Amino acid sequence: MELTLIVVLVIALALFFDFTNGFHDTANAMATPIATGALRPKVAVAIAAILNLVGAFLSTEVARTISGGIIKEGDDGVLITPQLIFAGLIGAIVWNMITWLLGLPSSSSHALFGGLIGAALVGFGVQAIDFSVVLSKVVLPAVLAPLTAGLIAYTATKLAYAITRRYDGKPDGRDGFRHGQIFSSSLVALAHGTNDAQKTMGIITLTLISVGLQPVGSGPETWVVVVCAVAIALGTYMGGWRIIKTLGTGLTDVKPAQGFAAETSTAATILASTHLGFALSTTQVASGSVIGSGMGRRGSKVRWRTAGRIGVGWLLTLPAAGIMGALAALVATIGPIGIIIDTIIGVVVISGIFLWSRRNEVSSSNVVSEVADSGAAVKIKRNPKPKKKVAP
Amino acid sequence: MIDWFAFILVLGSALLATVVVVTTYSLGIRLLTVSGRTPIVTPAEFTDAITVVSPAEAKAAAKRAAKAARKSPLSAGQKRAALIGARVCFVLSGAAALFGIYLIVPVLHGLV
Repeated sequence: MELTLIVVLVIALALFFDFTNGFHDTANAMATPIATGALRPKVAVAIAAILNLVGAFLSTEVARTISGGIIKEGDDGVLITPQLIFAGLIGAIVWNMITWLLGLPSSSSHALFGGLIGAALVGFGVQAIDFSVVLSKVVLPAVLAPLTAGLIAYTATKLAYAITRRYDGKPDGRDGFRHGQIFSSSLVALAHGTNDAQKTMGIITLTLISVGLQPVGSGPETWVVVVCAVAIALGTYMGGWRIIKTLGTGLTDVKPAQGFAAETSTAATILASTHLGFALSTTQVASGSVIGSGMGRRGSKVRWRTAGRIGVGWLLTLPAAGIMGALAALVATIGPIGIIIDTIIGVVVISGIFLWSRRNEVSSSNVVSEVADSGAAVKIKRNPKPKKKVAP
Repeated sequence: MIDWFAFILVLGSALLATVVVVTTYSLGIRLLTVSGRTPIVTPAEFTDAITVVSPAEAKAAAKRAAKAARKSPLSAGQKRAALIGARVCFVLSGAAALFGIYLIVPVLHGLV
């Protein structure tokens, strides 16, 4: 009886995590087209929600990485318990809460992995974790994906500007990229759904495997895919309204051509990674693209201090969430009372997040995303003149 | 064991996809401008949100674009060709994006 209760509890918590992910990340996809006026806010949010829903159905590779790769299951491995997964989730949520309060850039995806790994380490020790999978599918993608996205966005921005540049001073028509942004930001929303919703699917599948409801190594069930898709779409939709209220107060200077290049790069990087089962942070990829595309504009200079602060926040997430997950797991291993204590902590933290978000409804600092923040890492001179001149 | 090839694959395919989409779209805009139809996109709402064009600015931009279009050395036929080229580019850009999605979704392979 207790076993089923804990399973239900884990699934509920995982879905809540999924919901907050959508809630928090709408800004990543839709802040730019809303800000440059490419899309009306209501339309933008609705598109983002629908495409997140669709995206969740497109692939299960990332879910398999989480449910079948990171933690060794089956005969030669260990059998992770729902209690430990529960502890991992609590750890992730608590760390997310702390980073939100402190305004640190973070990644809810890495918080999730960190929490889970920390909990498994406490429960079973080092042999529980398949470190080669952690390294090749979580840690390395975490480092490489933003760099990849940045490099691609830099190239794409250079291209977009070079192709549309006119040395004779006639209108260059770069306004037209606003229409393009409608599509590129839609692609980002789709990519977000494919990668992020799958993380929750992976957690729920891992739980079901751990209690023997599903064979080891199997992919997510259809109902799991459906509920995760709905949770992230709902979160996106609800989160969007907050962004609409807070928009217009603090967005970095992203031009349509640049935004188009950055978003295309983000979507392409996430989709390609998803296909290979890399569970990466969509926020970090989007940030990498924004910085890369900023560097692709003439007269740009990187503010290494800001970029460094963002980078440190990223590096911190995995180990810090790991510690949180480990602590929660220590409590959870006491027994039923430990689970109750964890639940209470979780409820307190979740209501804390909720209250905090209500209080800050009108400020943009914690809503309009780390992606917009990362734009501040590149300084761009106002309208530098093109170097090449055409004889009159 | 780290599959380095996978990372190169991600970089390569994402770079290719982005370059194709951005290049065709940018070319489309270039050709559209050449054909005398410079896109002026007035934001629907939030006209005060930082980098957005104000209605007055948009009007001025439209005027400049029309003036530039009048002075264009191209013949009517060349302009029409540029416009067709622009539309082809936009379609190619969209098609490239859709093809990319098709490639990574196994479910679709059975349907088409």
